[in-house]
Amino acid sequence: MLRHALVGLCLLLGCLVAIPAPAADFPTKEVQIIIPWAAGGATDLVFRALAAVTAKQLGKAVVVVNKPGGGGAIGYTEVMQARPDGHTLVTAVTPLTILPHQASTAFTYQNFEPIINVVEDPAMFQVRADSAWKSLAEFLDYAKKNPGMITVGNSGAGGGVHLIALAFEKAAGVKLNHIPFAGGGPSITALLGGHIHAVSCSPPEGIAHVKAGKLRIIALFSEKRMEAFPAVPVVREQGVNFTMGQWRGLAAPKGTPPDVIKKLHDAFKKGMEDPAFVKNAVDMSVHLSYMGPTEFGKVMAADHERYAKLVQEIKKQ
Amino acid sequence: MLESLQYLLTGFGVATTPENLFYCLMGAIVGTLVGILPGLGPIAGIALLIPATFNLNATSAIIMLAGIYYGAMYGGSTTSILINVPGETASVMTCIDGYQMARKGRAGPALAICAIGSFVAGTIAIFGLVFLAPPLADAALAFGPPEFFSLMVFGFVVLSNVTGGSLLKALMMAIVGLIIGTIGIDPVSGDPRFTFASTALLGGIEFVAVAIGLFGIAEVLKNVEQPIEQLEQAVLVPRLRELFPSLRDLKDSLWPILRGTGLGFGIGLVPGPAPVIATYASYMVEKRLAAHPEEFGQGAIQGVAGPESANNAACQSAFIPLFVLGIPFAPPTAILLGAFLIHGVTPGPGLIGEHPELFWGVIASMYVGNFILLLLNLPFVPLFANILRVPKKVLLPLVILFCFTGMYTVNNAVFDIWTMLAFGALGWLMRHWAYEAAPLLLALVLGPKLEVAFRQSLMISHGDFGIFLSRPVSLAFLLATLLFLAMPLARKLFGVGRARADGGAAA
Repeated sequence: MLRHALVGLCLLLGCLVAIPAPAADFPTKEVQIIIPWAAGGATDLVFRALAAVTAKQLGKAVVVVNKPGGGGAIGYTEVMQARPDGHTLVTAVTPLTILPHQASTAFTYQNFEPIINVVEDPAMFQVRADSAWKSLAEFLDYAKKNPGMITVGNSGAGGGVHLIALAFEKAAGVKLNHIPFAGGGPSITALLGGHIHAVSCSPPEGIAHVKAGKLRIIALFSEKRMEAFPAVPVVREQGVNFTMGQWRGLAAPKGTPPDVIKKLHDAFKKGMEDPAFVKNAVDMSVHLSYMGPTEFGKVMAADHERYAKLVQEIKKQ
Repeated sequence: MLESLQYLLTGFGVATTPENLFYCLMGAIVGTLVGILPGLGPIAGIALLIPATFNLNATSAIIMLAGIYYGAMYGGSTTSILINVPGETASVMTCIDGYQMARKGRAGPALAICAIGSFVAGTIAIFGLVFLAPPLADAALAFGPPEFFSLMVFGFVVLSNVTGGSLLKALMMAIVGLIIGTIGIDPVSGDPRFTFASTALLGGIEFVAVAIGLFGIAEVLKNVEQPIEQLEQAVLVPRLRELFPSLRDLKDSLWPILRGTGLGFGIGLVPGPAPVIATYASYMVEKRLAAHPEEFGQGAIQGVAGPESANNAACQSAFIPLFVLGIPFAPPTAILLGAFLIHGVTPGPGLIGEHPELFWGVIASMYVGNFILLLLNLPFVPLFANILRVPKKVLLPLVILFCFTGMYTVNNAVFDIWTMLAFGALGWLMRHWAYEAAPLLLALVLGPKLEVAFRQSLMISHGDFGIFLSRPVSLAFLLATLLFLAMPLARKLFGVGRARADGGAAA
């Protein structure tokens, strides 16, 4: 008898939970941000900090959930199939426009609605402080005379910084030897130990060692010089017309209503301006770079084309 | 050296403020809980609690989060011993002898020795951290891809048949592990391998799913073979005085604990899943050095004391690359790095100089934390040991529930649960035909890393195999591997080495 009552109670509670909520009252429950990578990475840190301050703006909890695997494919596929009511979001980062060219994924950037871009990280090459190449000119000179001899580590084959390194090769007209590592950490370790000549990376990787004088930034691929290192020129200033970085923003599944997107955009924008978050970002050396949905969408489209060409080239090699 | 001691004292001043003691306690409790629940490991625990630390100062935050990491190493052995489900990836070896001890009614001594061994190992390892950190970090940097490859070849060869038994079967299981490890994305070219166009397989097969499946689920399936009445009778209910380790137990465990500490501390410096490998190495060493090696696998306390100490020592030494180089070598320390960054502290060469109160405060809190964990875990030993009194018909479904929930918390993926069940079925079959799970898991862990190191080395050397022989450390490991392989042969040919109780070299 008791057993039946218990089962009945559970069924009743279950029904209550499943009653659909009207869309005008968004958000009606917690908002989930899915991160398609394991906890602890740069994306993870930035968005955990942002989620904490944005909860106030939305009036509901903002929860970060990691769904790693497949270089990001698993997380993106899942959000693509989620209900487009604005309660499930995903961190849209550069690999979103790279992955579809490398493996036959079910998604492309067009399966998502861009909401806002939060961070833009410059990419760079670093070498050891005691390296023989004191400037980019010397580095490129050596590379031209010895094609394929300079080993450049990266955080993963086909990943963001690897492709940036390949694109730089083309722009500078040199040939380098790219060594993949399982993440930014191992690639920096290999550089510190002198096992590779240079590394292609993105802040905060290696920044602590540059500040401590053990590593040097030999090539900086951003538009402007970094505030933390005003003496380091960008490659544009040194004759190579090349800029490339990685963006990190938020997106929702396609079909999310425009007014929900606007609410999310406004809330996260306020979150980005929260002094606590700004301080976190400065501490982590990540470069905040706001972009609204239309602009963010254009950047995604442009990068999708750019990486399509790049990945084709790697596949030919 | 004296200077370090002085700094350490100021660190204790920081660590013993009521606030920091509270956070240390919180970290220890959360860590233990996270370690006990199978699947949920320190990675998830630390990541989940990072937001809770946003309003704390950096020192208190790191004290708490670090506590979760080494706390998990204490708690991980609990389910390994009681229900043969590894609570933590580093507790897999503890299942082997720990569970057998529990079946003989000796769960209490097993749990207690785990706590004691973990405490001793953690404390000694912290001393190592304090006095040897900078030179060890430099030594760790000297390991490049060729050195890793050779080290892993050595580890693979030495540890493949760690549990004894048929070498052929162990090698077969190792190869299965290697094959499973190739599923996913090729680490060098980025192409998918063996994924059969499935997005879920793109991420590869999750190690935790295989571990929980092969040990926990398979054990439940094995239990279910017998009629329930027979099962209930088989449980040996321990008496009160049998709940604590005897003097003999303590004496037997002393050297395994010390050796486990040394091994764990050294191996913890190698990037990757060092605590897991350290436990394998410790088990191997204890088995080789034991007076009665045939007891291993049947409930030898050395097989519990050694690995449990090793994983705690490895966990402490994993902090060295994090603090000194600012580079995380093990996944939980990667999360900790993130926590540092969020609080505006960049670990690395400048850490000790710029934030001495943080560094020494955290180190001192590790001593405090280890002590708190000992006090937390020991009194619970009788409680946990009595969990075995729960009738199997209630306990076994609870075990399954534990496995399911724990597994899901790792990646929030239902696919992992299917994987766990599939390997549970496989594990049951394996038991029937006496195939060991340990070599499979070892190969799953080492295989991908071995492959990456091999290919990276060849890329750096432009295809020249000589790179493995021209670098001294790499050459040393390869020679050690050859020596190890040649030993049984040498014994047969020259009759060298002591005669074993089992009559002949275990080749």
